[in-house]
Amino acid sequence: MTTFWDIVHLLTGTPLILVAIMGLTWGILGGALPGISASITMALVLPFTYTMDPAMAIALLACVYIGAEYGGSIPAILIRTPGTNSSAATVIDGYELNRQGRAGEALGISLMSGVVGSLFGLAMLVLLTEPLSWLALAFTPPSYFGLGILGLSVIASMTGGSLVKGLAAAVIGLMISTVGTDPISGVSRFTFDVPDLLNGVEPVLVMVGLFALTELMSQSGSTSLTQLKESVRIRLPSLAMMNRLKRSQTIGCILGLFEGLTPGGGGSIAAFMSYNEARRWSKTPELFGKGSEEGVAAPETANNTVASTALIPLLSFGIPSSNSTAVLLGGLLMHGLLPGPRLFEQNPQVIDSLYVGSFVAIIAQIGVGMLLLPAAVWLVNRPRPYRAGFIFALILSGIYTLNTSTFDLGLALALGVVGYLMRRTGFPFLPMILGVVLGHMVESSYRRSLVLSGGDMMVFLQDPICVGLLLAATGFVVYSLTRELRDARRAKAEQADTHKAHGQEAHG
Amino acid sequence: MNKDAWSGLVLLALAGTYFWATGAIPDSTLEDEVGAVGLPHALTAALVLLGLILLVRGVLAARTEAAAGPEDEERDATLPRALGFLALGAAYVLLLPYVGYLVAVALLIGGVALYEGAPRRWTVPVAALGGAAFYWAVFVKLLGVSQPVGTLFQGLFS
Repeated sequence: MTTFWDIVHLLTGTPLILVAIMGLTWGILGGALPGISASITMALVLPFTYTMDPAMAIALLACVYIGAEYGGSIPAILIRTPGTNSSAATVIDGYELNRQGRAGEALGISLMSGVVGSLFGLAMLVLLTEPLSWLALAFTPPSYFGLGILGLSVIASMTGGSLVKGLAAAVIGLMISTVGTDPISGVSRFTFDVPDLLNGVEPVLVMVGLFALTELMSQSGSTSLTQLKESVRIRLPSLAMMNRLKRSQTIGCILGLFEGLTPGGGGSIAAFMSYNEARRWSKTPELFGKGSEEGVAAPETANNTVASTALIPLLSFGIPSSNSTAVLLGGLLMHGLLPGPRLFEQNPQVIDSLYVGSFVAIIAQIGVGMLLLPAAVWLVNRPRPYRAGFIFALILSGIYTLNTSTFDLGLALALGVVGYLMRRTGFPFLPMILGVVLGHMVESSYRRSLVLSGGDMMVFLQDPICVGLLLAATGFVVYSLTRELRDARRAKAEQADTHKAHGQEAHG
Repeated sequence: MNKDAWSGLVLLALAGTYFWATGAIPDSTLEDEVGAVGLPHALTAALVLLGLILLVRGVLAARTEAAAGPEDEERDATLPRALGFLALGAAYVLLLPYVGYLVAVALLIGGVALYEGAPRRWTVPVAALGGAAFYWAVFVKLLGVSQPVGTLFQGLFS
C-alpha cells in the first residue's frame, strides 16, 4: 500500500521530477517532428534507459508518451501536418483556426485538453489496473498460453489491413523469438555459432529497427515541409472557454478510455471517433471543419486519455494494445519486469514511479509545453537532411549502448531493411513485435503445460480460462476474416458499378 | 505478379530456410514432449500455409488489378534510395572499431546530410563535427556510456 510519505519520498528522495520533465521534453520535441510518431520517440530513448534504475526508466518512457501526444499537435495546427498519427484529427480544425490567425489559441486548447484527458486517463489507470491484474493470479500455464495466443490473434486481426499479413507478421515475430537458448532443454537454436545470438534477439532491437530505422529509410529523399512561423505563442483558454469545451472533452475522455482498453484501438481511432461524436453532440456543429474550438479539444482529449488508459491492459496482463505500449513493454522486459499482479507486489516502486511521474509530467506539461514551443518550432524548421543525420546517429549510438556490440548495430540495420520491405508490401509491424515479445511466454507455457499433463493435449481444454481465451482468439480471427471478405466483395461490386458507368458514358 | 504474390513467395522461401535451419538444432537429454524443434516446425507449417494463401490471392487479384489500371504512386523512398541510406549506417558500423565514435558519428551525420541533399557548403562539416562533439559529450562524458575510441586513435585517447 502506497502512503502519502512514499509519494513524498519519490518526489524528494529520487530524481523522479527531473526524469518526468526530461521525458516530457523529449516527448514534446520528438512528437513535434513530422514522421516521428510517439512510438518512435519512445523507441529512440529506450536503449538509453538500459543503465537506468528500472523505476525511473519506466517513468521516463511513460512521460515521453505523454509529451509526444501533445507534441504531435504542434505541426498539425501550424503546418497542417500531424506530428503523430493520433494528432491527424486535430489538423481539421486546428489548421483552420491557424488560418484565421488563432494559432496560439488552438495550441492552448490542445494543451489544456491534453491535460484534462491525461488526468482522466491517469485516474482510470490507477483505479482499474491493480484490480484487473489480480485476475491474472488465477492463471495457470495453459491460461498463459491462451493469453499469448489471444494477444497475438487480436493484434494480428485488429491492426488494419490484411488478416493473413497480420498473422504472417506474428509468425515471423515468433520465429525471431526462437533464436537463442531453448527455454526448456537449454540447447541453442538458430544461433549459427554466433555468441551474440545465444541470448536471443532483444525486442528493443526489433522495435528500433522496425519503427525508427524503417521510418528514416522511407523518408529518404523527401523534401522539407512548410516552415513554421517562429513568432507564434500559446494562448491558454479562459475559464469560460474551458466551460464551453466541457462536452467535447467529456466525449474525448470516454472514447479515449474505451479505445485505450481495446487492443489495436490506439489514439488515432479515439481521436477521429471523438471528433465525430463531438460534432454530433455540439450546439454548433456547422463550425466543425471551419475552425471549431471543440474540434480541437475532442481529439486532443481523446489521444491524451489513450496515452494513460492504453497502459491498463499492458500492466494488468502484459498485452500491449498499440505500438507505443509495445515499446513500454520492451522497457519493462529489458529490466526483467513482468507485467501482472507480481509487478504490483514485488516492484511497487516501479508502479508508484510510473503513476507519480506521469502526474508530474501532466501538470508540468502546461509550463513546459509553453516554454518548449519555440524550441519545437526551431527543431521542426531545421533542414531535413541534417535532422535525418542527427536522428540516425542517435539511433545507432543508442543501440550500441545496449551491449556495446557492433553485431547489434548490424542486426538493427538488417531489421530496418525487413521493416522497409514489410511497409512497402503492407505487413503490419505490431504483430511481429508482439510475436518477439510474447514468443517466450507462449512457448514455455505451452511446453510446461504438456510436461505437467504428461503430454496430454486435453490440458488446454480442461482449463476454463484457457478455453475462454482460445475461443475469444478464434472469435477475433473469424470476425476479422468475415469483415475482410465482406469488404473485398463490396470493393468488387463498386468496381463493377464504376466499369458499368464508364461503359454507359462511352456509349452515350 | 502483384505485391501479394511476391510476398507469398518470400514467405515460402523464408519458411523453407527456417525449416532447413531447424536441422542444426541438437538433441538434448532434457528433451520434453514437444522438444526444441516443436515450435519451429509448427511455425514453419503456419508460414507455409499463410504464404500459399497470399500467393494464390495475389495471382488471382493480379488480373483484376491489371484491368483497374496502375496502382497509386508510392510516397515512400524507392528501394535503392532507402538501401543507399542504410549503406551509410553499414559504413558507420564497419568504421566504428577503427576510427572510433567521434569520427564515425561526424562522418555519418555529414554523409547522411549530403545524401539527403544538403547544399555542399561549410555548414555540412560544421554540423557534422558539432553534432559528433555534442553526442560524444552527452553519451561518453555525461551518461558514461562506453563508446569505441578506435584502434587508429587508441594511443591518443587511452
